[in-house]
Amino acid sequence: MIAYAARRILGSIPLLLVITIISYALMGLSPGGPAAILGQSARGMTPIQREHLIALLGLNRPWYVQYFYWLQNLVLHGSLGYSYVDSRPVIAKILGKLPVTLELIGLSTLLTLAIAIPTGVYAAVKRGRAFDEIVTTLAFVAYGMPVFWLGILLIDVFAVHLRWFPLSGISSLGQSHNLLDRLDHLVLPVVTLSTVSFASWMRYQRSATIEVLGAPFVRTAHAKGLTNWTVIVKHTLRNALLPTITLLGLSLPSLIGGAYFIEYVFSLPGMGYLGVTSVFARDYPTVMGITLISAVLVVAGNLLADIAYAAVDPRIRYD
Amino acid sequence: MAGLVLAIAIILAALFGPLLWRVSPIAINHALLGDPQPPSLVHPLGTDMLGRDELSRALYGARISLLIGFTAMIIAITFGTVYGAISGAAGGWLDSVMMRTVDAMLSFPSFFLIITVEALTNSFELGMMILIIGLLSWMGVARLVRAEVMSLRERDFIEAARAIGAGPTRILLRHLIPNALAPVVVAATLAIGDNILIAAGLSFLGLGVQVPTPSWGGMLQDALSPAVQNSPWLIVTPGILIVLTLLAFSLLGEGLRVALDQSIVQVGVAGVDVEPVANAATA
Repeated sequence: MIAYAARRILGSIPLLLVITIISYALMGLSPGGPAAILGQSARGMTPIQREHLIALLGLNRPWYVQYFYWLQNLVLHGSLGYSYVDSRPVIAKILGKLPVTLELIGLSTLLTLAIAIPTGVYAAVKRGRAFDEIVTTLAFVAYGMPVFWLGILLIDVFAVHLRWFPLSGISSLGQSHNLLDRLDHLVLPVVTLSTVSFASWMRYQRSATIEVLGAPFVRTAHAKGLTNWTVIVKHTLRNALLPTITLLGLSLPSLIGGAYFIEYVFSLPGMGYLGVTSVFARDYPTVMGITLISAVLVVAGNLLADIAYAAVDPRIRYD
Repeated sequence: MAGLVLAIAIILAALFGPLLWRVSPIAINHALLGDPQPPSLVHPLGTDMLGRDELSRALYGARISLLIGFTAMIIAITFGTVYGAISGAAGGWLDSVMMRTVDAMLSFPSFFLIITVEALTNSFELGMMILIIGLLSWMGVARLVRAEVMSLRERDFIEAARAIGAGPTRILLRHLIPNALAPVVVAATLAIGDNILIAAGLSFLGLGVQVPTPSWGGMLQDALSPAVQNSPWLIVTPGILIVLTLLAFSLLGEGLRVALDQSIVQVGVAGVDVEPVANAATA
């Protein structure tokens, strides 16, 4: 299995290269190019100073040459460069923000799974009945719900009016090491992210379960007199979990995208918040770093999903 | 069915609403400046911080939303179909290179990419935004079409076409693509909703439709201003409009999928298999 994981990790390197090349090209080829970016952070400079800075940062070179230096720096020194905004190493900036994003995504995935899997299975068992219809309708509504809107609504109701939860941020003043306080701040963001991802998971689990329920071995299980509960939990669920696990990997890009939005709305100091503010500040190296780390997260998520796949289904071998 | 009715209602409202409700969406009412009005007979959806009529803004916002939704969908579908068809028909190394690129583009939060491109190009024109959304959301379609083409390629009628002397281009355009279109129609329907969601997200961040042009995302952004804290209608209206529109197109897509006899179990989750970009914006 270790060999399999190693092969997969090696195999994902070209993928990451393609991702970074695309990002670099998009940024480098954009009208005005990166040099135009300096227009904002370098206001008040004389033209000569400006030229000097552009040359210093290497922005006068074509994008592929810049990309080459960026890659060289990454491979040889493990460095993603320095932020244009505060000159701190990009890696340090991102690592400082990563925990919040991971907590948000992790907790909300757990919450979503805990609710969506039983709901999806039950809806499949009761297919066409009232419960199924209601849950399916709710799923469609939740699917169309803009994450930022839901976030704003929850803030308005539960933070502004009811005052049950804090408005924004990840910790109260002077409480940065208090775990309960941190969780308290994460409740609304996690609920927001879970609500919008619930729809896909529930629908997926439902159709997977319906498919398995039609399989001959389920009929056999019923025929030999097993209770409904045993048939569903032991025979159906285990088989119907497989497609859902695949979704775990597939949904990561959208989860990360959603998390970025939520961080923005709730002012959570995570990677997405850093990303959006860096984009606005034209902090080129930080944006590049976040793109790379996001891609690594996605690739790692897919790998974990594949490994989990085999853990649930002994028929699958790594080879 | 419900999806079709709802979608038609929204399209009609966008087309004819502004003709019937002839209140300017951008005229600032100085008497109401800084004093948003709750819904009333004069302003059925109230007014915003600048005294502008919310109903009118909502109707014009619907026009913009649908315009973006449809045109970006057409760009993505056209590009994705051609890309997927070429990849599927060519096979071999070209196919692997093309699909690897798709994998790469699917592997990172495209919403973040869109924000980055939007902000860095510094171009907030509507056409640019539509182009960017379209060009960053074709990957799901490309995969669908490729899969269809690959299974069609081996079928007898293609062999027959080749036997009577049809060239590769003709086979691609006249035989492969038309026969692969059923799942594309479903994907196209879902894409409209997804694009509207992305556009709303961009406008919400101030990167989309620029003021004073009304847009649903922009209305929501305005509603966050501290000056309008006790005006829940400003928050509720644009959100409900977005939810209803998305609901309409996902139900319609689901209905089409069943009607076109796509394997419901295999891919049958509205919006899930077809690259949930929009929900990157939102999910």
